[in-house]
Amino acid sequence: MTTLLPTGFDALAPFADRWAIDGSIARAARRGDAAPADRTAFFAAAAPLLDAALAHLDRYPIDALPPAEQRLMDMMLTLAHVSLTEEILGDQEPAHARQRQHMHITRTPAGA
Amino acid sequence: MSDDSLAWLGTAPIPAAPYHDPAWFELEREAVFRRAWLQIGHVCELPDSGSFIRREIEALNVSLLIVRGRDGEIRAFHNVCTHRGTQLVEEESGRRGTFSCPYHRWSFGTDGALLAAPDFDRFFVDKADCALPRVALDICGGLIFVHLGTPDKGLRDDLGPYATMLDGFPAAQATTFSEYVYEIDANWKLTYDNFQENYHLRFIHPRSGAPAVGEDNPFGYPVKMGFHGPHRTQTIWTNPDPAPQPVQAQSFGRAARFAMADGTAGPHSRDYLALFPNFFILGSPAQPFSHTVWPIDARRSRGVIRLYWKGEDDCASRRYAREYAMASARDIHAEDRDVIEAGQRGLNSGALKHIHFQAQEALCRHLFTAVDERVQAYRADLAGTAPRPVSRAEAMA
Repeated sequence: MTTLLPTGFDALAPFADRWAIDGSIARAARRGDAAPADRTAFFAAAAPLLDAALAHLDRYPIDALPPAEQRLMDMMLTLAHVSLTEEILGDQEPAHARQRQHMHITRTPAGA
Repeated sequence: MSDDSLAWLGTAPIPAAPYHDPAWFELEREAVFRRAWLQIGHVCELPDSGSFIRREIEALNVSLLIVRGRDGEIRAFHNVCTHRGTQLVEEESGRRGTFSCPYHRWSFGTDGALLAAPDFDRFFVDKADCALPRVALDICGGLIFVHLGTPDKGLRDDLGPYATMLDGFPAAQATTFSEYVYEIDANWKLTYDNFQENYHLRFIHPRSGAPAVGEDNPFGYPVKMGFHGPHRTQTIWTNPDPAPQPVQAQSFGRAARFAMADGTAGPHSRDYLALFPNFFILGSPAQPFSHTVWPIDARRSRGVIRLYWKGEDDCASRRYAREYAMASARDIHAEDRDVIEAGQRGLNSGALKHIHFQAQEALCRHLFTAVDERVQAYRADLAGTAPRPVSRAEAMA
């Protein structure tokens, strides 16, 4: 567990297996598929660490992140999607998720 | 802007049939889509000699092969072997020095010339007469446009003052992009119209669109509108008292800082261009998106939305900001789809002979007017009547 995430981000360790997701399509899908309580818990843990995480990650070459840093990067990218449910949509999420499934991501700089 | 300043557009009800009638759509194929510059791609998709993209224009049953040649020039060809019509390229994109037909191995260069064909001596034609059929192509603001007919104006002449605006949009400097695509059971004009009026914002985007409305402007109506020929523009109103959420503020704050550093935060950050017939682009530096609505048939279309970015991801913060911007824009666009389809189902019933546009839906009225003028002119051409009249849009140009 010591190398799961960089020092200072241990609070995110319980979420790493479900929320460190590779690829924009998979990240968007997980946001819609996740159990609401799990999604809310991840957001509560990750959102306060966003600034610190990106400040830490910005010290590394983006395409050569060590495994722990890559995991943290993937979690922050998933947070980008999850925050839209937690901060913006609230109880509109179930209906919104049905509409989002028609918007097919085909390309992103982070890797679709 | 005052309702009076839009009086030249008229106020009459709009006939409903053009939004669902297959016979009308058959006219639009030729009258609109073969007689206009169509936005089809971006120069960043063709970085090297031999880079190519394949694009389908279903409304015209056309497949295009767009290639950057050895000389650096980008050209568009019909994706069709000149031997017996076989489509040359199946891949959506790639890089090749030559394009070889899978059927009988006729091979073409990046300039479209026929280079070699097995046993060619037994044919009754010269190689020089077997080049790939060329399609008119032009570029403005980094965006690639094609014309499937015979253009009576170059692209920049057609766009007029909007050409200079396009040059100043973030997409002009883009080197990469995010993209998402949707299909919708709705006419292309009905779909497109949704994105050129703000009347619906407070009802369809009550939360995601909250920053675009406010006490002073409860519908989020644009600050101004403008028109040039069949093209139009609007300037988005800025809420002076936004209430962003914490992650939202951090995310867009990063995007804005990168845009400032990159020099993509230009003078048109609140401007929207709606280029005839089916292309939108927004100059926002944080979410610099374009949206093309392609007709498939009278009651079905496809939207292609891209967020254009300058430079590759060079740090975690930039990667994050782009992911958030894409996800946020996708959320807002997703909210429109259901209600557009509901509108199409209502129109398909034939219950309405007319629909109605209010003053703040002037851009929708302007699109219908531009389409109608072209369809009527095309009908006149088909009927062999008097010379084609000068359209109102052309007279204004």
